[in-house]
Amino acid sequence: MVTYTRANAWNNGGTFANTDLLWYAKGVGAMQARAIGDPASWWFFAAMHGQYLQDPKVPIYLANGWGAIPSPPTVPLANYQPPSSTQFWDQCQHQTWFFAPWHRGYLLALEAQVRADVASLGGPPTWALPYWDYFGDTKQYKQYSIPPAFTQLNMPDGSSNPLYVAARYGPDGSGTDIYVPTAEAIKDHPKNPPRGKVTQDCMCNTVFKGDETTAEFGGPDTTTLGCFWHGGGKSGLLENDPHNLVHNYVGGPNTEGLMGDPGLAALDPIFYLHHANIDRMWAGWNDVLGNANPTDPNWLNGPAACGDAVFVMPMPGPNSWVYTPQQVNSLSQLNYNYESFASLPKCVPPSVQLAGRLAKLGASIAAEKVKAGTTVNIGRKVELVGASQGAVKVKGSMVQTSVKFDPSVRNKVSTSLAAASETAPPDRIFLNLENIQGTQNATVLAVYLNLPEGANPNDHPELLAGSVGLFGLRGASAPDGRHGGQGLSFTLEITNIVDALHLDNKLDQDSLQVTVVPSRPLPELSPITIGRISIYRKGN
Amino acid sequence: MTSRNRELARVGGPVLFMSTVAWILLLAGPGMRTHCTVVAPADVLWRASLHILIAMNPPASLATGWTLMLVAMMSPVLIQPIRYIRLRSFTRRRTRSIILFVTGYAAIWMALGAVLWSIDLAAKFLPESYLVAGGMVVIASVWQFSPIKQRCLNRCHAHAELAAFGVAADFDALRFGIMHGIWCAGSCWALMLLPMVLSRGHVLAMATVAVLIFGERLEQPTPPSWRWRGPGRAARFVVAQARIRLNARRLAYGAISSSA
Repeated sequence: MVTYTRANAWNNGGTFANTDLLWYAKGVGAMQARAIGDPASWWFFAAMHGQYLQDPKVPIYLANGWGAIPSPPTVPLANYQPPSSTQFWDQCQHQTWFFAPWHRGYLLALEAQVRADVASLGGPPTWALPYWDYFGDTKQYKQYSIPPAFTQLNMPDGSSNPLYVAARYGPDGSGTDIYVPTAEAIKDHPKNPPRGKVTQDCMCNTVFKGDETTAEFGGPDTTTLGCFWHGGGKSGLLENDPHNLVHNYVGGPNTEGLMGDPGLAALDPIFYLHHANIDRMWAGWNDVLGNANPTDPNWLNGPAACGDAVFVMPMPGPNSWVYTPQQVNSLSQLNYNYESFASLPKCVPPSVQLAGRLAKLGASIAAEKVKAGTTVNIGRKVELVGASQGAVKVKGSMVQTSVKFDPSVRNKVSTSLAAASETAPPDRIFLNLENIQGTQNATVLAVYLNLPEGANPNDHPELLAGSVGLFGLRGASAPDGRHGGQGLSFTLEITNIVDALHLDNKLDQDSLQVTVVPSRPLPELSPITIGRISIYRKGN
Repeated sequence: MTSRNRELARVGGPVLFMSTVAWILLLAGPGMRTHCTVVAPADVLWRASLHILIAMNPPASLATGWTLMLVAMMSPVLIQPIRYIRLRSFTRRRTRSIILFVTGYAAIWMALGAVLWSIDLAAKFLPESYLVAGGMVVIASVWQFSPIKQRCLNRCHAHAELAAFGVAADFDALRFGIMHGIWCAGSCWALMLLPMVLSRGHVLAMATVAVLIFGERLEQPTPPSWRWRGPGRAARFVVAQARIRLNARRLAYGAISSSA
């Protein structure tokens, strides 16, 4: 029996009748009453994720300083004194395989502080953070919408509601309809649906560790080559969709809300419910779907294994908590659980997926062998197949470009698909959006392959390679930021689309057309630049 | 072999081998560079002194020594950009692109080398060599802690977009090498000059500077400011990895002991 159970925020309709939310609001209120420099304050915790308090000389940050955000909340900057030690601030781990474990520890620390405040206010000592399951069923409640407790100006007793945030604009930018555009939500918003659906597709990937040119569930190994590689700004699958997309949609397009910027996001109380859901998905990926976390010591020991700063959180009381991924590796070791994993997708095992693919490619005998349990050695060789010629500027409502193939490497792919077997499994194919730069943080880009000219992207879901959320784009594009101005990069697996092209005899051409569709039209004056669009094969 | 070790073997292995060979040659051939302070008394024309100095340090010998110095000290920091080029190029173009990158990078350093050696030779006219060395320590320290140095280091982490096809791919690889060389030279010029002006302990100073340059390149980009920059992360990395390996051995030994 675990001590703490995180429950669905939509219980009791997601209103203050849900006591988890009522006590969360009271706890947040208590934390917001403290000064920025107090490690038990709401502001201090937000700054641990990211902040715009200490870099006033960096021009890019000026416009988004904490003093300029619409109220509520009002950050108490009047008597602000920088803390003596900033080891706690700006710790958030993005575009790395430490994304999930760092945020798990961050949630535990915030939860411990809120729980301490809840207890001191007379609330339940076992209070736990609720999660916002935007993929939850819609029979009783439209769970893709933000729980109503977050949109009320006042608490039931008439006091102002600490969960309410002015700068939270939602996918249509109105501020009145805050929802996550899942498949169900898009069905319910037929008039003006955003492009770039939020999915749980990441859950059926069974590998945690990714690299520079392929994407897997947990994010790229940023300790490659003796920790010489700083990451290059690539999100793992869980981090991109749903995590990044939800941040950007809840914050809102163009006029960015708090959730759309890593240096502001944790000021919004919905942040922690979103991350509780991301953490629930990671837990479900392990415990329900049976996938394993890395056993590499460089992951288990965290960034400290590379000589970087340790993960450290303030906790109620005098001592802070230093932790590693190894210490937050599973739910059971942490004495807490989630109320339900029912909304997770049903995934077929990799061997069944491969057997199905082999059958589709015409290798039915090999498919039977794989189904019967023949071990298949998947090739690990990664090779560039084709690339766009020059950078691609994304502005307005859509842009189309072509990715030219190198004929000899394309032939390798074709041969791999045509001669697929259990001893020579077919290549996996990945589309890379490299070094995306710009200032429009809260942008989602949907990417289509070979979309016919003039066609409506919504009519061709079979050609959708995937969607990417540019959460953190502005900081990643700053020349003196943590990414050295490299911007963000994303990898989308396009194996199924390429298989279909191969079967239709459409792969043997000079190039593929790639269409990039922003969720909302981008301002002409603030285009986003994709440094290069490339296609890679991974195989033998 | 893990993918990390495979990468090390593919790129890091050859690069570190070349660096090691260069270090051996530097250690084995101290005559490659003649250290001789020229004291020009009032009755000797400075032109004559210069003539003697050049005769004792022929340009070909200086260029050879400088090339060895570059390969020894700077090649380890090229592992990451070379790996980047490999990943972003078609397999058949990888070698060609890497050669172009290295050519561009080396061109910058060779040009800078001419300037640095000129400074070094000019310094030989000063009678008090320790004053020159002391002055260089001050200049290198100021540069080391300056915001400009950080700006250069940050740009070293920014890897250029590379075209994949034809002349554009060649041009981009060459340009990447040149730009990387410029930022690298901007970051390291003062540190590189320091061992050159020393009349003793030249190779030891080079080794120290090489460790510092490699170590500081491991640090993450950060906003420019006046601050201490050293191989702190590298040192922490070595300690952490040693601890991890010791713990793993201890656990393995414990498991064997308990099973026995």
